[in-house]
Amino acid sequence: MKQFYAFLLVWLVVGGLGRVWAQDRTLSGKITSSTDGSPLPGVNVVAKGSSKGSVSDADGNYTLAAPAGTKTLVFSYIGFLTQEAPVPASSNTVNIAMTEAAQSLDEVIVSGLATSVKRSNAANAVARITADELVGKTRPVTLDAAMSGKIVGANIVQNSGAPGGGISVKLRGISSINGSSEPLYVVDGVFVNNSQFATGAGSGSFSGAGTNQDQAPNRISDINPADIESMEILKGPSAAAIYGTRANAGVIIITTKKGKAGKTKVSFGQDIGFSSAIRLLGSEGWSLDPIGPEGQNKFDYVFGNGTPGSGSKTEIELWQKATAEGKIYDYEKYIYGNTGHISNTRLSVSGGNDKTKFYFAAGLNDETGIQKGTGFQRKSIRLNVDHKLAKWIDFSIGSNYMRTGAQRSFSGNDNRGVSIGYTLAYTPNYAQLFPVNGVYPLSRYTGDSPIAIAERTINDEMTNRFIQSFTSNVYFLQKPNSTLKLALQGGLDYVNTEAEVYFPEDLQSQLTRATPGASRYSKNRSFNTNLQAFLIYNWQLAGGKIDLTSQVGAVRLTTDNDFSWIQGDGLLPKQKNPNTGSVRTFNETWQAWQDVGLVAQQEANYQDKIIGTLGIRFDKSSLNGDNQKWYSFPRASLAVNVAKFDFWSYDPISQLKLRAAFGRTGGVPAYGNIFTSLGTTIIDGQLGSVVPTTVGNPTIEPETAQEIEWGIDLGFLKNRIGLEATYYDKQIFNLLNPYTLSSGTGVTQFNAYPVGDLQNRGIELGLNLVPVEMSNFTWTSSVQYWFNRSKITRLEIPNTTVGSGFSIYGRNQLRLGESPTRWFGSPNVPDENGVAQATRYEDAQPRYQISFSNQIKLFQHFDFGFLLHTSQGNFNSNLTTKQKDTGGTTVDWSQVDNLYGNVGLPNGRARLPTNPNVTAREFIQDASYVRLREVSLYYTLPKTLLTRAFNNVVSNIRVGASAQNPLTWTNYQGYDPEASNFGNQSVGASVDNAAFPNSKRLFFHLAVDF
Amino acid sequence: MKFSFKHMVLLAGLTLSMPSCSFFEVEDTIDPNNPTLESILTNASRIQINQLGIGIQSALRNGRSNFVLVAGSIGREIYNLASTELTWTTELLGSTNGGFSATTLFNGYYADFSQTRRRAEFFKMAAENSAPGALTDAEKDGIRGFVNTVEAYTMLNMLNMQYKNGIRIKYTDLYSPGDLLKPGPFVSYEEGLKEIRRLLDEGATQLAAGGATFGFTMTSGYAGFNTPATFRKVNRALAARTAMYQQDWTGMLTLLNDSFLDLNGPMTTGPNFTYSTTSGDITNPQFQQMNTTASPVVAQSLFITEAEPGDTRVAKKVTKRSSVRAMNGIIGEYDVSLYPTSTLPISIIRNEELILMYAEAMMQTGKLAEAVTALDKVRVAAGLKELAVAKPTVVNNKAALIDELLNQRRYSLFYEGFRWFDMRRYGRLDQLPNDQPNHKVYEQLIRPFAEVQWDAKNPQ
Repeated sequence: MKQFYAFLLVWLVVGGLGRVWAQDRTLSGKITSSTDGSPLPGVNVVAKGSSKGSVSDADGNYTLAAPAGTKTLVFSYIGFLTQEAPVPASSNTVNIAMTEAAQSLDEVIVSGLATSVKRSNAANAVARITADELVGKTRPVTLDAAMSGKIVGANIVQNSGAPGGGISVKLRGISSINGSSEPLYVVDGVFVNNSQFATGAGSGSFSGAGTNQDQAPNRISDINPADIESMEILKGPSAAAIYGTRANAGVIIITTKKGKAGKTKVSFGQDIGFSSAIRLLGSEGWSLDPIGPEGQNKFDYVFGNGTPGSGSKTEIELWQKATAEGKIYDYEKYIYGNTGHISNTRLSVSGGNDKTKFYFAAGLNDETGIQKGTGFQRKSIRLNVDHKLAKWIDFSIGSNYMRTGAQRSFSGNDNRGVSIGYTLAYTPNYAQLFPVNGVYPLSRYTGDSPIAIAERTINDEMTNRFIQSFTSNVYFLQKPNSTLKLALQGGLDYVNTEAEVYFPEDLQSQLTRATPGASRYSKNRSFNTNLQAFLIYNWQLAGGKIDLTSQVGAVRLTTDNDFSWIQGDGLLPKQKNPNTGSVRTFNETWQAWQDVGLVAQQEANYQDKIIGTLGIRFDKSSLNGDNQKWYSFPRASLAVNVAKFDFWSYDPISQLKLRAAFGRTGGVPAYGNIFTSLGTTIIDGQLGSVVPTTVGNPTIEPETAQEIEWGIDLGFLKNRIGLEATYYDKQIFNLLNPYTLSSGTGVTQFNAYPVGDLQNRGIELGLNLVPVEMSNFTWTSSVQYWFNRSKITRLEIPNTTVGSGFSIYGRNQLRLGESPTRWFGSPNVPDENGVAQATRYEDAQPRYQISFSNQIKLFQHFDFGFLLHTSQGNFNSNLTTKQKDTGGTTVDWSQVDNLYGNVGLPNGRARLPTNPNVTAREFIQDASYVRLREVSLYYTLPKTLLTRAFNNVVSNIRVGASAQNPLTWTNYQGYDPEASNFGNQSVGASVDNAAFPNSKRLFFHLAVDF
Repeated sequence: MKFSFKHMVLLAGLTLSMPSCSFFEVEDTIDPNNPTLESILTNASRIQINQLGIGIQSALRNGRSNFVLVAGSIGREIYNLASTELTWTTELLGSTNGGFSATTLFNGYYADFSQTRRRAEFFKMAAENSAPGALTDAEKDGIRGFVNTVEAYTMLNMLNMQYKNGIRIKYTDLYSPGDLLKPGPFVSYEEGLKEIRRLLDEGATQLAAGGATFGFTMTSGYAGFNTPATFRKVNRALAARTAMYQQDWTGMLTLLNDSFLDLNGPMTTGPNFTYSTTSGDITNPQFQQMNTTASPVVAQSLFITEAEPGDTRVAKKVTKRSSVRAMNGIIGEYDVSLYPTSTLPISIIRNEELILMYAEAMMQTGKLAEAVTALDKVRVAAGLKELAVAKPTVVNNKAALIDELLNQRRYSLFYEGFRWFDMRRYGRLDQLPNDQPNHKVYEQLIRPFAEVQWDAKNPQ
C-alpha cells in the first residue's frame, strides 16, 4: 500500500511538473532544540529557492504553504546553526532538532544604553555567555565563579576558598591603582552593587589582620546564576564608552530569563553535590634523628636555638608521650579534610500570550564547606513580567529578592595567631588540642588553637537584597521606514548585609587581651538607583539602503550608603550581644553621591556592509572635586563586512569583517577623596580632635581610559569555523592613587592624586568550530587565547609601593615603564643614584591564558562537555611555606637538599629568610596552572519513553553528572594558585598567606520540565 | 487603545517632567561624618582649642610602641617573638640578606612622631588665629611653649632612631597642596640635636610668659606639671636629655637644675602617658598578658643572668614564663612584665632618669663623688647596696663608673628606648649580645622608603 502511494506521489510530481510549480503544498512539522528536546518557537522556516516562509508557534509547530517543487527547507533561529532539511517526497511532515551555534552571528548585542546591534555588525569583540555556557554544565556557586575561563580577555581569580565566593574579575588588565578594577555589573538595566562590605573580622579584637582584610564575599554572589539568560561583557572603553564614568573597568550586562508566549512551562531542577579540598599541604612528623650538620635534630631547630641538644625538653616529652599513647593527629585533615554537601533546587514557571509574558523562578542553594561550620546559603525569588499595553506602548518589570548567608570562619593573614592557616602551620602533629569534657586545651604553639577557632568562633554574614527593574518603550511613530520611541528605564538595588563576628571570652587568644571576649555586629546598607530616558529615532535613507538610528538621552545614578557597627569587648561569659561588653565601641559612616550623564549617539548601517557609530556622553558627579563640571566621553566605531559586498565571490569564506572601535570612559574618585577632616580621639575620658594625617584633594578629577580596538572576524564554511582576532590598546590617564608624601611632613599622603598613566595592550583570539555535525554526533569546540601587558607610561610621583603586601616577601610598586602588578622584593640593590631599590621579579598578571571548551552530542540524548583552562606566568607572593617552615610542619622539613647554598641544613631551615641567600625569590612563586574547570555528562530521556510513562504531563527529563575544578596541574606550593589575601584590589592582590583551600565539586543533576 | 494626539501630549508632559531640575543636579559634598580642617584654621573657639590641646596629648602617645619595640630589639633588651610577623626575629636582628628591606615595617614610629609634630604645629596655628577673645596673649604663649616642647620630644626620638641618616627639620606649610612638595633637606645628627635644643629653649621662654594656667585642659598624666611654670620643668628635663646626646655636660647640669630633678625625691616623679579602656581611648601598648604564644615580648636572657643579685628591678620588669617560647633560634624564658595591667601609665621622663643624667654629667665633668652619690640613690631604690660597699673599686675610677652608669641605666630604663642609644654613644654596640651567629646589631635604621623615594624624585 505504502509503495503505491509513493509511486502515486512520484507520478504526480514528475507528471505534473509543468503546472505543479504554481501549486502550493502544505508542509508542517515540529522544531525542537537538540540540546534538551524542548520546542523552539519563533524559528524561521523558508522553502529554499522561494520567498515562502513561516514561523513556528509556541509549541514549536509550523505550517508552511510551500511551492510544490520544494526540495529543501531552511530553518534559522537566533543562537542556533542555520540548518537545511530535505523535504521527503512521500510526506508533508518535516521535523527537525536544531543545534545551538557555537557563536551565533545573528545574536544581538548591546551597542548603546538603549539600542543593540547584530553580532555580525558589531565593531567590538563583545563576549557573550549564554545561560547554558554559564551554569548549564556544572554549578559554580556564584556567577562570577561561573565566568572563569569563559571570557577571552578576562583575568578571573578566586580570592579564597571559603564558601560564598570572593572573586576578582579584571577585564583587559587593571584599570585603576587605588580604585576598583572590578567591572560594573548591570542586571536588566539596574546598576548593581558588587562591594565587599566590612565585617570587622580583620580588626584588632579578632584576627588583627588589618582593614581590607575581612575577607568578605563580594556582593554579586547574591545573584542566582540560574536566573541568567545571557551575559555580555563590554571589556574596554571602546565598547563601554556609553556607560561613561562608571565603566573604566568594563561593563558586564546581565539579562535575566523572560517568559515566552505559549503553553505554561514548569521546570524543576535539583542538584546534589559534594565538595572537597583540591589539595591539602600535609604536615611532617617529628623525630630525634640527627639532621643538621652538627647532629642537630628537628627539635633543636624548631624548639631550640639551633645548637645540638638545645631543643625544648618539654616538647620532646610531649611528643614521646603522644607517640606512646598513639595520639598523633592530622589537624589539617581534621579541619579542611571534610566533605562539603551541596544542594541546589530550582523551580521556574514561565509562559504567557502575545500581550503578557511572565517568568517566575525560585532558587534554593545550600552548601556546607570543607571546614565544619562554614557554609553558604542563598534563597532567591524572581518575577519578570512583560506586557504590551497597546501597539505603541509596552513595559517590563523585574523583581528579585535574595537572602544570602555565608559562614566563613577565619583564614588568611592575621596578627594575633588565630587564623586557621597560621595556626595549622605552627601546630605539630603531637599537639593535644581536641576538647576534653567540652574544654578546649590551650595551644602552646600560636595565639590560639585551630580547633577552638574552627568550632567556637563566629564569622557570619546575612544579606537581604531587593533588586527591581522597570523598562518601558513608547512608540510615537511606527512607520515601515521610520520609528520614534521613548525608552524609559529605572531600577533600584537595596542591599543590607548584617555581619556578626564573635570570639568568646574564654578563647585562648582573648585571654591575653585586657578585655577578653569580643563581638561585633555590623549593618551595611547600600541603596542604589538608576533612571534613564532615551529618545530613539530609526529612519531609512536611499530607499532603505541606509538604516540610521539616532538617540539622545539622560541618565541619573544615585548611591546612598549607611555603614554602622557596634562592638563589645570584655563580654559577659557566654554572651554574644555587644551590649554586654565592658567596653563598647561603635561607628556610623554615611556616604551619598550622584552621577548625571547626557548621551547622544548616531548609528548608521549600509545594508549590513558598512556599519558605523558615533557617540558622546557627558558626565558629572558629586564625587569629583568640581561637581558641576561635565566630562566628555566620545566613541566611534566602524565595521565593514567585506564578504557581504557583491564583489565577494569566494565561497569558503562566509564572513570577513574588519572592525575598529575607539572610546573613552571614566572612573570616579572614591567617596571622601575630596575631604580633609578632623579626627577624634579620647584621652583621660575627654574628647580631643586631631588634624588628619592624610589630605583630601578638592580639585580631583576622574580617571579616564581611552581604548582603540582593532579586529578581524572570519567565518569559513558557512561559519562552521569562526575566527575572531582582536588587538587593543587601552590607556588610562590620570590614575588616581594616594600620593605618598615625604613621611617626615607628618602627612602620609594625598588621598587621591593624579599620579600617572597606565597602558594595557593585548591580543584576544577566539576560534569557534563545529568539527562534526551529523544527526547522531555533533561536536562544537572553541579555543581562546589571550594576554594583556601593562606598563606605567607616566609617573609624576616617586617610585612607590602600592597595594598591600608583606615587605620582604614582595610588594607591587609604581615604576615608570613597569607593570604595576609586578613584584619587587629583597635584596635591595643601590641604583645609579645610590638609592637602595628592591629587586625586580615577575608579574602577578598571567603571561597568557588559554581556554579550550568542547561540547559533544551523541545519539541526540547524550551531552558531554568539558572546559580546560590554563593561566601561565602569573606569580604570587606566597608566605604559606614560610609559615610552615617556621612551625616545622612542611612535608619536606627534615630533608636536606642543600637549598640556597646552605649545605647540610634541613630544608625547613634553609628556606627561611634568616639565611643570607634567601631573598624574595623564595616567596614570589610561579602560580601557573592548568585546570579542568568543568566536565559534564547529561542524558535526556527519549520523548517516546516520557509519553508512555507520564502521559504527556512531563515534557522533558534530563539527568547528569558534572564536576567543577576536578583536576588541577600546578607546581605551586600553596593550597591553590588562585588566592588573594587582600580581596578585590587592583594591585597587591596576589598574596597568598595561609588562604582557605579551594575546593573541587562533584554534582548529580536532575531537571524535569512539565 | 490607539495612539492619539492626547497620548502624545500626555507623554511629552511626562518626559519633560521627569528630567526636571533635580534629575540633572548633583549635591554639593561636605563630609557628613567629620568636622572639616578649615573649621579650626581660623576663628577657632576656646572649646575647639581645648579639644585640639587634648588631641595632642592623646596623639603624643602614638609611636611609643613601635619605638620601644624596635629600639629594645636592636638594643638587645627584648625580643618580639611574633609568629605572625617573622621579620621581628629576622630582619630586625640583622639576619636578613641585605639588612633592612627598603620598605621595612620598622619605621612606624617615624610616621607617628612626624604626625604628632604636624598636629602640634596646627594646634599652634589654630591658637594664633583663634577667634578674638578666645585666648589671652599669655595663653597663646603657653600653647606655643607646649607645642615647641612636644615637637622637640618627637624629633629627638626620630633622630635617635635615624642617627646618621639625620632628619628633616624644616617644612613649609603643609596644607596648601603646592607646599607639600617642599620639605626641607635632611640635616646631620648634630644639626638635628641643635635644632631640638633651640626649639626647647624657645619653648622654655614662651612657657615662662605663659601665665598661671594653660588655655586648654592638661590631662591627668601631667598632674604636677600642668601649668606653664611646672611644664617648663619638663621642657628643661627634655633639654637635658638632648644635651646628653650632644655630650654638652655643663649645659646638661644647668638644664637639670631648672628641671624637676630631686636627688632625694621618689624615682617615679614625672609626667606620664595615661591609658584607659574607655571607648575611643587606647590601652597601654606595652602591656601584655603573661605566657602568651602569639607574639610575646620576652627579655634577652642576659638581662636576668647579668643582673646584680638582689636587684628588685629585675623581678619587677620580667616574669618567668610557664613554658619557654622558641622562635627562629631565640629562646624566650622571661616575659616582659613592665606594666602588669593595661591601664597603667607610661613615664615620659622621670626623676630616676634625671638622677642618672645628673650622675653622668658629674662623672664626665670629673666630679666623681657627686656621681657616686647620685648612682647610689638609684641603687638603693633598687634594693642594692651603695657602691662604696658593693663595688668599692669603681668609686674613684671614671671608666668603671661609666660602666656602672650604663648598667644602672640598663636596669632602670629597661624597654624604654635607651639601651641601644647608650651603647651607641659610648661606641659599645659590639658588646651587645647576638643570640644567633648571623645576627648583627644595626647602628641605625634605614631611612624610611617614602623619604628615600621622595628625595630621589625631588632632588634638593
